[in-house]
Amino acid sequence: MDNKDQEKDSLYLKLIPYFDRYGILLLLLIMIVVMHFLQPDVFLSWRNVTNVFKQISWQSMLALGVFMVIVTAGIDLSVGSIMMLSLMILAIVAKAGAPWFVVAMTPLIAGLICGLINGLGITILRMPHPFIMTLGTLYIFRGTGNLISGGTPISGFTDEVRYLGHGRIDLTWLGLEKSQYLPVSLVLIAIVYIIFWVFMNHTRTGKWIYAIGGNPSAARASGVNVNKILVIVYSLCGFLSGIGALILAGRTDSGYPNAGLQSELDAIAACIIGGASFFGGRGTVLGVFAGVMIMGILRNGLNLMDVSSFWQQVLIGSIIVLAVYIDVLRRDLGTRK
Amino acid sequence: MRELMRKVVVFFSTIFLLTTMASVSFADGHGKKILFSIKGPGSGNPFWASVTKGAEEEAKKLGVKLILIAPPQEGDVQAQINQVEDQLAKGVDALALAPGDPNAFAPIVDDAIKSGVPVVFVDTKGINEGVTFIGTNNMNGAELAAKFICDKTPKGSDVAILTGIESQSTALLRRDGAIKGFKNCGLNLVATQTAEWDTAKGRSVTESIILKNPNIKAIFASNDNMGLGAMQALKDADMNDVIVVGFDATPDAATSILKGEMTATIAQFSYNMGAYGVKYALELANGGSIDINIDTGTQLVTTANANDFK
Repeated sequence: MDNKDQEKDSLYLKLIPYFDRYGILLLLLIMIVVMHFLQPDVFLSWRNVTNVFKQISWQSMLALGVFMVIVTAGIDLSVGSIMMLSLMILAIVAKAGAPWFVVAMTPLIAGLICGLINGLGITILRMPHPFIMTLGTLYIFRGTGNLISGGTPISGFTDEVRYLGHGRIDLTWLGLEKSQYLPVSLVLIAIVYIIFWVFMNHTRTGKWIYAIGGNPSAARASGVNVNKILVIVYSLCGFLSGIGALILAGRTDSGYPNAGLQSELDAIAACIIGGASFFGGRGTVLGVFAGVMIMGILRNGLNLMDVSSFWQQVLIGSIIVLAVYIDVLRRDLGTRK
Repeated sequence: MRELMRKVVVFFSTIFLLTTMASVSFADGHGKKILFSIKGPGSGNPFWASVTKGAEEEAKKLGVKLILIAPPQEGDVQAQINQVEDQLAKGVDALALAPGDPNAFAPIVDDAIKSGVPVVFVDTKGINEGVTFIGTNNMNGAELAAKFICDKTPKGSDVAILTGIESQSTALLRRDGAIKGFKNCGLNLVATQTAEWDTAKGRSVTESIILKNPNIKAIFASNDNMGLGAMQALKDADMNDVIVVGFDATPDAATSILKGEMTATIAQFSYNMGAYGVKYALELANGGSIDINIDTGTQLVTTANANDFK
């Protein structure tokens, strides 16, 4: 190998870690640029950008929960159902006239309990794979939600309950117009994602979550209580679905039986696009955020362009395959040292 | 101990078998046996609950033995097919069917007719030739909604349509009916987009539509869930004078209309679908003949009559 080749190779090697970490952001950036050129007046307007964040707000919570589960090499198919059940419980409690802080707490507690059930089922009942437990609870939670509500929508919440999903932060003091407000859901996404970024990267539990996904037997050997971590992860995933329910309650002002139908698939897709691996141990919080954004921007952009829903399905599917293919290429690059 | 358990199990299963056999043979003694297959459980949707009620009360009145079945989840076509096949194998005198998927049910309907079981379609029209359809004329209903919007807005105003899942005939008929109505009175249709019958999607899609078309004057939502979502988007954008007309007349929509939010909705007479389904299936079972299309009607619901639908 002559000198020049070696230089080129070492440049590649230097770039690989960055590409690995930020490659997905590049895809996101390309999409934003393309959409901007297709819809120059609208796409990057204040209102549309805030619209995108409002629209992805509840999906981003589900995706973050599913992401942690996927890092442990597990899967949670029940997030959509957990969200629906939490939403229905919220609606019933609200209808019964409970004060707003009780109403706002119920979906979080309900979500946490549902997640706890998943975690305990997987560890104590020793289900051969989380797929099975959460497939079961996918049906159980949705069925329960239908049973307690009679399957009919329950509408009408107070402004306090709707704050997270519907509230706005006035920015007129910055000299902006009244229409240029900040949706509370955008701030919420930022806060939750930062908290979980710190949790996953800078706490012992977070590092263990990566460890049991990457190599469970090694983690066990080094004294990690794998079952305890798994219960924590599934509970947090349920809790995040509960936050999703609270946001959705704000957005739609209604507890409705079809809420979150198939949204577990959207959540999984966002994680996969964002670079999480089904074999566990890989993926970043930032990547998940990019994955959620990519799906959100795709839907929003196609809606703006009046594209039929059938094309939306085809394109979202294609993006999943494309994103994972980029991932495969990326790893090829990494191993060709 | 184990021996005892086994005896207990055998005892109870024998009793269970005997009672089921007895009930089946007694039931056969009364009138005709009509199978009514609906798309989703009554507990999952007030629409099917009302169809169920209509069918049950009519069956009682006419003294027929009604077997009403629904798949565990709306849209679970395979489960519905299995249920219908199983019941047909057991033997019925007539079938009233709300097919989850008209194409998938076509061969089953053909087989049933061939084997002497007459069929009527309820709610959703099948593709089999010569089979009576009992249900809402969705196109007329949507046209009714469009006409209402025409009366309330100046000529040439911007309007939009939220459609349902566009692979379902109900969604297409409602869309086409609304388009026809808007065209006839010269309104300017600026967007036709799906929100897949869903409230959250109804809101998201409307947010995009009103952003691109700030002068919009009215939105027709192909069902109330999407209409309620659209309402939230409009409220959020302070566009409170935009007219929203839904379809289905759910209790939530009625409440919203009374509060002065949604403007109107279209009511289907789902109770009639259940009742007519039983009535006309029985008529066929008794060798009679019926019209090929039986309209169960639609009705405009506004502040004037929304109280009846709460």
